[in-house]
Amino acid sequence: MTLGRFVRRSLAYYWQVNLTVIAGVAVAVAVLAGALLVGGSVRGSLRALALGRLGQTDTVITAPVFFRDALSDELRAVPAMADLFDAAAPLIALDGFVIDPASGRRASGIRVYGIDNRFWTFHQRAAQPAPGRNEVFLSEELVGELEVDVGAALLVRVERPSEVPIGSLHGRRDDVGRTVRLTVGSILSFSELGEFSLRQHQGPARAVFVSLPRLQESLGIDREVNTILLSGRTGTRESTADHVASVETALRSTATLDDLAVAVRVLPERDALVVESDTGMVGSIVIDAVRESAGEHGLRPQPVLTYLINRLRLGSREVPYSLVTGVDFPSFSALSSNARRRSGLWPEALEYPPILLNEWAARDLGARQGDIIEAEYYVWDDAGRLITRQSDFQLYGVLPIAGDAADRDFAPVYAGITDAESMVDWNPPFPIDLSAIGSRDEEYWDRYRTTPKGFVELGAGQALWQSRYGQLTSIRLLANDVEDLESIAATYRQALAAKLDPVDVGIGVTPVRALALSASVGATDFGEYFTYFSFFLVVSAVLLASLFFRLGVEQRVREIGVLQAFGFSPQTIRSLFWREAIVIGVVAGLFGMVCAVGYAQVIMYGLRTWWVDAVGTTLLSLHVAPETLGAGAAGGVIAALVAIAVSLRALKATSPRSLLAGALPDATHGMTEPPASSVLVHVPDWVGPLVLAALGLGFVVAARASVLNATAGFFGAGILLLCALLGFAWVWLRRMAPGSIAEPRPWPGVQRGVRNASYRPGRSVFCIALIAFAAFIIVAVDAFRRDEGDPLDRASGTGGFALLADSLLPVGDDLSNTAGRERLGLSDFETGLFDGVEFERFRGRSGDDASCLNLYRPADPRVIAVSDRFIADNRFTFGTTLAKTAAEVENPWHLLRRELPDGVVPALADANSLTYVLHLAVGDEIVLNRDTDREVRLRIVAALADSVFQRELVVSEVHFRRVFPEAEGFRFFMIDVSEDRAQAVTAALEDRLADFGFDVALTAERLATFHRVENTYLATFQTLGALGLLLGTVGLGAVLLRNVLERRRELALLRAVGFDRRHLTLVVLVENVLLLTLGLGIGACCALIAIAPAWLERGQRLPFASIGWLLVTVALAGATTSLVATRVMARTPVLAALKTE
Amino acid sequence: MLEVSSLSKVYPTPRGEFSVLRDVSMSMQRGESASIMGPSGSGKSTLLYILGALEPPTSGHVSLDGNDPFALDPKALAAFRNRVIGFVFQDHLLLPQCTVIENVLLPTLVGNPLPERHARASDLLDRVGLSHRLDHRPAELSGGEKQRVALARALIRHPPLVLCDEPTGNLDRESAEAVASLLLTLHREQQTVLVVVTHNPTLADRFAGKFELTGQRLVPRGSVT
Repeated sequence: MTLGRFVRRSLAYYWQVNLTVIAGVAVAVAVLAGALLVGGSVRGSLRALALGRLGQTDTVITAPVFFRDALSDELRAVPAMADLFDAAAPLIALDGFVIDPASGRRASGIRVYGIDNRFWTFHQRAAQPAPGRNEVFLSEELVGELEVDVGAALLVRVERPSEVPIGSLHGRRDDVGRTVRLTVGSILSFSELGEFSLRQHQGPARAVFVSLPRLQESLGIDREVNTILLSGRTGTRESTADHVASVETALRSTATLDDLAVAVRVLPERDALVVESDTGMVGSIVIDAVRESAGEHGLRPQPVLTYLINRLRLGSREVPYSLVTGVDFPSFSALSSNARRRSGLWPEALEYPPILLNEWAARDLGARQGDIIEAEYYVWDDAGRLITRQSDFQLYGVLPIAGDAADRDFAPVYAGITDAESMVDWNPPFPIDLSAIGSRDEEYWDRYRTTPKGFVELGAGQALWQSRYGQLTSIRLLANDVEDLESIAATYRQALAAKLDPVDVGIGVTPVRALALSASVGATDFGEYFTYFSFFLVVSAVLLASLFFRLGVEQRVREIGVLQAFGFSPQTIRSLFWREAIVIGVVAGLFGMVCAVGYAQVIMYGLRTWWVDAVGTTLLSLHVAPETLGAGAAGGVIAALVAIAVSLRALKATSPRSLLAGALPDATHGMTEPPASSVLVHVPDWVGPLVLAALGLGFVVAARASVLNATAGFFGAGILLLCALLGFAWVWLRRMAPGSIAEPRPWPGVQRGVRNASYRPGRSVFCIALIAFAAFIIVAVDAFRRDEGDPLDRASGTGGFALLADSLLPVGDDLSNTAGRERLGLSDFETGLFDGVEFERFRGRSGDDASCLNLYRPADPRVIAVSDRFIADNRFTFGTTLAKTAAEVENPWHLLRRELPDGVVPALADANSLTYVLHLAVGDEIVLNRDTDREVRLRIVAALADSVFQRELVVSEVHFRRVFPEAEGFRFFMIDVSEDRAQAVTAALEDRLADFGFDVALTAERLATFHRVENTYLATFQTLGALGLLLGTVGLGAVLLRNVLERRRELALLRAVGFDRRHLTLVVLVENVLLLTLGLGIGACCALIAIAPAWLERGQRLPFASIGWLLVTVALAGATTSLVATRVMARTPVLAALKTE
Repeated sequence: MLEVSSLSKVYPTPRGEFSVLRDVSMSMQRGESASIMGPSGSGKSTLLYILGALEPPTSGHVSLDGNDPFALDPKALAAFRNRVIGFVFQDHLLLPQCTVIENVLLPTLVGNPLPERHARASDLLDRVGLSHRLDHRPAELSGGEKQRVALARALIRHPPLVLCDEPTGNLDRESAEAVASLLLTLHREQQTVLVVVTHNPTLADRFAGKFELTGQRLVPRGSVT
């Protein structure tokens, strides 16, 4: 006989109790490790998905416009790049949609890749053929959606990035896409990179691969691409930021002016060079670089702004479609000196800005010096409308068409105008009045083409015609040395390219692999929340295990007394129980790990099937990481051992004599030794719970004030408040006066039942805790459940807009006005269909989906911009805001107009996305384009309550245009239309704007999609609550049975003296209902307080009805279990019970 | 060897202090035995547990072989009980998970190693007539057999003090007689100090010293009329 053998004997003898403890601990381990495994599996699946879709790609270079594909090889030739990257591949990556003409099926939101063999070589799949000239390769997902097979003909439409911005007058708003007809040549599986994607989303990546040369041809570009993939060399130690910095440095040394959409032409007849931009306008970045480099090369810059004037008018005489050029003061003075004018008339003396007309225009107008010349011209308003404006100039002089006044190169190249043979052949992207063009105008065009008919001072011209895309149309560089202009041009091109930073002009470097890995941690960390909500289940299981362990120990209190009597020290006795506990823990841990894998497998299956709405993918699979499993098991076992230690500690306070008498620690009323002297003795027992309650409320306040993370606030407050109220329950039960059963009292059965709850306050509190935890989860989770509001309510999550629309290609025209609809081909429907229909248009910058639909963590969320009109409309409802002024409080949208220091942009987001996806609070900042030289900082100034704006951050249009000047047109729309016309408007828009990939949806449906995700999450968490309730019910049943068995003599005695079974049942039932009610009340109360900050933030209504219904269900389930215990009691034979010792 | 002087025990209760023992004194040498009688609630068991160092007195002094057990720290007190005291309880309190011999060996699992402990346990069980039941579980024994096992367990470490709390209280007359005889025989053989608390006058009469607890005081039996 040894102590070890003694332990083995005890383990074997008390196997039934030990099995219940093992089961309890195993449940705790399974739940905890399972939750961690679920989290790890979601992360692992996202990671595998992201890496599988990226192939060999580590870093990617992208640009809003096309650049030379040769840049790819040139970059690799840079030594620093060769050290970091071992492969590079150029390609075209564009958004697009595919139509199956045979079936009419359309798949939008797809990525179209123009690739050649370099793509497959890059991905180490050189054997895989590139698509042939007329072929298209499809991802399996897309094939399934379109239901096509190899050989089918498809129409692939892609966005055509425009060199001339569509937000400028000369932008081709009607020509934003290209369609190619191709034949399905191959279907690519995931492993064949069929789901190649540079942007991460857990949903199916629908990709289309077409021949690079064919796509280039369709887009009208020659050996140009917009993307370069870079594959990192393995084993390099440089950080992601170092990689990005290296690529940016290499870009600066290799990018040519062609890559930057800048051209330097030689004008031999003018002894000058001219710097122009492919966009038609030269912006400040280029202007600064040109000026700086010009000085270094001895060139004198001459800024030029040429604009098309629809009409020059003097009285009744007009000259149509004339170019007017603004030049700087020296040049204007030089021109003036050649003009015919009266001496003594200085520009300063004129009432209107001076204009020099050439003799052709002056003759046609019959103009004389000093005449007021009206100029009428188009301006493309930023809001997307073509506006005709008029300005007055005063004729300062008349120029002969000679010298600089005969220079055709003042005008930039505008496709459709400058390349036209005659004026009637003009095809500009704005309406022209051909009837106004006469023979003299055509004659001028024949003779002088784009020679300006007038000159103004640059400042006056810029005040009227500059746009956000630039202030000049070109910069002349006047050379002193005219001997070798070509050689000067060559040198200057290099110098200018060196001055221009490719990053500044929009070429971006993105560490896609690092971002993907970081994003695969997950936005809404399902595992994290699962673990949080499992926490209460784990605690319940641990409590249950410790309860069973305690019951087992209580069963052996006399044994403990014997051991003490025979000289076993308290430490030795505790060590014996510890050894048993450890063996139980290890066995339970191992068993729990097996269960955890099974549990996680079931949950993952659930996520792929029952709860697929929450994750939006069926590609999640179980990833069993031994360390995760081990951590979960260790956590569960340690928690159980701590609970057991607390149980054993309770024995310490019990005297050996009490133990030998079989008296239990918390059942001894009266004959106890006074506790050891301690200051705590003098502290009232309600102080502890009160402190916990205060701390819990402190968490609530801190979470409400955004001092604390909402999740931490919710769980922290929940746990503390639960502990506090359970503590109060314990104090109340302990203090309950025993009273006398003989005293005549009303409702004696009820009173006795209530008093019985105090028989073992510890056990009663255990039961209350188990029920409270389950109720807490169920109520807290249910309170987050969303109801569908009135979609036409302006304060609702839809803002009162019945429809919303996404456009794949940017729409430049304004759908709100007749002219805009006419240009977009919607005039056929002008029979009242659009009367009263209001369109709100939003500029957008593409980015990560910030809604709960995206499992990946959005590092660079999508941003949309709202107009001033939208801001003034004050739709939607807000949660927390930073509003200070009365106007901001009244209409928090005004916060978006704030000017913040350091160029920070005020932004708002949906409260849900903010809290659970972006993990930000109002007042926090988020950085877009992080780790690049184009970082944009946004500060969250308000949170929208449950809105359709869950996918994006919202900023004002003014700020948007400042920080994202490259973002073109409008791609997101909200449509205020009555319900009865919504369907017809949807059909009209989708039909006529099909080429834009216009996709209209009901806002209520979009909101419901978000709600579905949330509610599915909540359903999974409520499942945990239900499991907790099951554990609680088992625990309650076990305790009730134990209590009944322990008091069977007392109960039998009552029966012997005449109490009938109904009365005893009532006594036990009252006790149980009391415990249940306390448990439910405490759980529900704590849940409602803990969710208060989130509830206020989200502006949500409390679903009282469903919570009440749930509580009733829970109460009925618990009461039914209680009845089982009372039936066991009632069936116990009186005599046998009375004889029982 | 067992010295008890001016011993008193008071329990605090919600309704004030409750005095159980007052000014109890006694002295016994090795080889002496005594019985203590008294009505229920008179403090017999309390006195026994104080003598067995399981419960401290409120005041007074207890010494065994000159040592005050209540001056020891908990670990030393446990070792003291292991070495010096053997208990026999009314309802035997055998551990159900252990066999007969394992129950007897229980006190040898802690404290100083006992040479030939298995042989001694077997010998003791032989003496109490249970040599054929070594590997049986307590549940397989009769009440008298269980109490004999408890007796062997109390004596396994040669304790100088053996304390018995109603050792025959749960036994029929024959079994009670057998256990009492065995108790006295072994007491004589091992020259222990034997204190037996009992309600049974027949049993009480078999011990040399006869005490009675009355009015919270310990007095020689028969001195109170």
